[in-house]
Amino acid sequence: MSAASPTIEPHLTTGAIVAKTPRPFVLARRTIITPILLALLMIAIALLTMMTGSRPFNQVIIDVFLRVILVVGLYVFIGNSGVLSFGHIGFTCLGAYVAAWLTINPMMKKMAFTGLPSWLIKTQMPYWEAAIIAAIFAGLAALIFGRILMRLSGIAASIATFAMLAMINTIYSNWETVTGGTSSVVGIPIIRSIWPYLIAAIISIFIAWAHAISRSGLALRAARDEPTAAAASGVDIPRERLVAFVISGAIMGLGGALMAHSIGVVTPDTFYLGLTFITIAMLVVGGMGSLSGAVIGVVFLSALIQTLRWLEAGVSIGDVAFAIPKGLQEIALGIIMIIILALRPAGVFGNREISLTRNRGD
Amino acid sequence: MSHLSAENVSVSFAGLKALSSVDLQITPGRIVGLIGPNGAGKTTLVNVLTGFQAPTEGTIKLDGAALTGLKPHQVRRRGIARTFQGGRLFRDLPVLDNLEVTGVGLGMSRRAAIAEAEAMLDWIGIGALGSRIAGTLPYTDERRVAIGRALMGRPAYILLDEPAAGMSTPEARELSALIRHIAGDLGCGVLLIEHNVGLVLGLCEHIVVLDSGAIIEEGPPAAIRDSEKVRHAYMGTAANTDLPVLEVME
Repeated sequence: MSAASPTIEPHLTTGAIVAKTPRPFVLARRTIITPILLALLMIAIALLTMMTGSRPFNQVIIDVFLRVILVVGLYVFIGNSGVLSFGHIGFTCLGAYVAAWLTINPMMKKMAFTGLPSWLIKTQMPYWEAAIIAAIFAGLAALIFGRILMRLSGIAASIATFAMLAMINTIYSNWETVTGGTSSVVGIPIIRSIWPYLIAAIISIFIAWAHAISRSGLALRAARDEPTAAAASGVDIPRERLVAFVISGAIMGLGGALMAHSIGVVTPDTFYLGLTFITIAMLVVGGMGSLSGAVIGVVFLSALIQTLRWLEAGVSIGDVAFAIPKGLQEIALGIIMIIILALRPAGVFGNREISLTRNRGD
Repeated sequence: MSHLSAENVSVSFAGLKALSSVDLQITPGRIVGLIGPNGAGKTTLVNVLTGFQAPTEGTIKLDGAALTGLKPHQVRRRGIARTFQGGRLFRDLPVLDNLEVTGVGLGMSRRAAIAEAEAMLDWIGIGALGSRIAGTLPYTDERRVAIGRALMGRPAYILLDEPAAGMSTPEARELSALIRHIAGDLGCGVLLIEHNVGLVLGLCEHIVVLDSGAIIEEGPPAAIRDSEKVRHAYMGTAANTDLPVLEVME
């Protein structure tokens, strides 16, 4: 904590307390520069990708935008509530399978998912409509799980979210007639264009920002810092946590749907421990309490991962071919993350947001 | 007449009685003092009055209606505010946001909460602190911000848990003036829990003395000052001793 400055001498104003209502949207105007700058960063990355014209690079950037969606979704809950959730990738799984059920050709669905109701087998809709429904479905699932989970705090809440992830994975791995079990679900229309992913990432950023400056976001951050004092201030902590849990669940579901369309194949294990670890790591490295940290943590770690992958595959500089040993990518990534967290335990951004002026922590 | 009361309240922790058949009443615009040596049960009583601790026996009533069983945020929404020993500010948030939290917790829009928070900081005389991060404040300012936060939404009652702890005599005098204004100008009923007995004797019309969870004395300041039971509770002996910090804050 920084050094305390001298006390300001109070000069009591006696009599009535006179409140002057500030201009409308004062908070929005003061803080909107943060999501705008983050959106501009996303747009710049997309334009750069278009200019390169490289298909592999296009897929790399699609993955970056997908991770931005997932990590921003995590930030909405973890960043504002301070409760570490290991279960959010479960909502990504739900979203991905909803997208599969709603977009795969009915003939293929009839063979692969014999347990689906006939109306769902017959339904086939555009990917963006399916993505919206996937987000709503994941949000509703978050509402149901959250009504129980949000009464817990601390490590008990974290373990319970992990149990939720394990439950979803087990159900989706074994309900073969509806999910295909552990087999790969194929036939999901693949979307190669970068723009849907960019738009979804930007929408996620603005939703997270709107929640952060809302009454609910402020109350939740207060409860994160001092739950006892927040309750004494009239804050219904389980309710505010539930609001964030549902919003973040919906964003994770949206990310899951688009993830399904980016690779065209899903299995329950696509959405399990590996993805859970990498998304939480990106949020922690960027700074859990900051939207900017969530987004830039993804960009930074994705760039790092990709660089290490290229080095593993081998790089030629002039006549000299150079490659790092296989497996060094994971080790180097782990070491770099430990160094960052040792130097900045609150992540690169801590609780701060990028802004053109000094921000006040909203 | 409007009042907040504890009626025959007892609290036990694993067989140990923290409070034993305590009766207390607070009315709007009046300052009631609650004193007693360490471990007397003062903070436990505040916790019971604000919903943080369920009584083992007895009831808490607001204007005759039972509050027992309500959660702390529900008690606050009924107009009973409190502060904590040590301030417990939201340390990562600016001072203005600290006050806004209570506003939004009580159902105000953020815009209305900002307006009231700014007015409240000005009323307390620390309007210049609004943009400061709460965790960077000096100790005495933390206490003032905590009181401002509790006063948001103009509660009918405020329970101040050792607000003068760590304050110098001039700072305690400023605080004393603030508490008078809270009762006088805002019409708020105040329960003042304080180790600075001089401050309590100077401010309160009625003082309740707790020892080992039970009320051992209550009455006007003069009666408390002269009470042998009170001296004995504080000093362990009735012979030639004074109450701690006996400089009376007039």
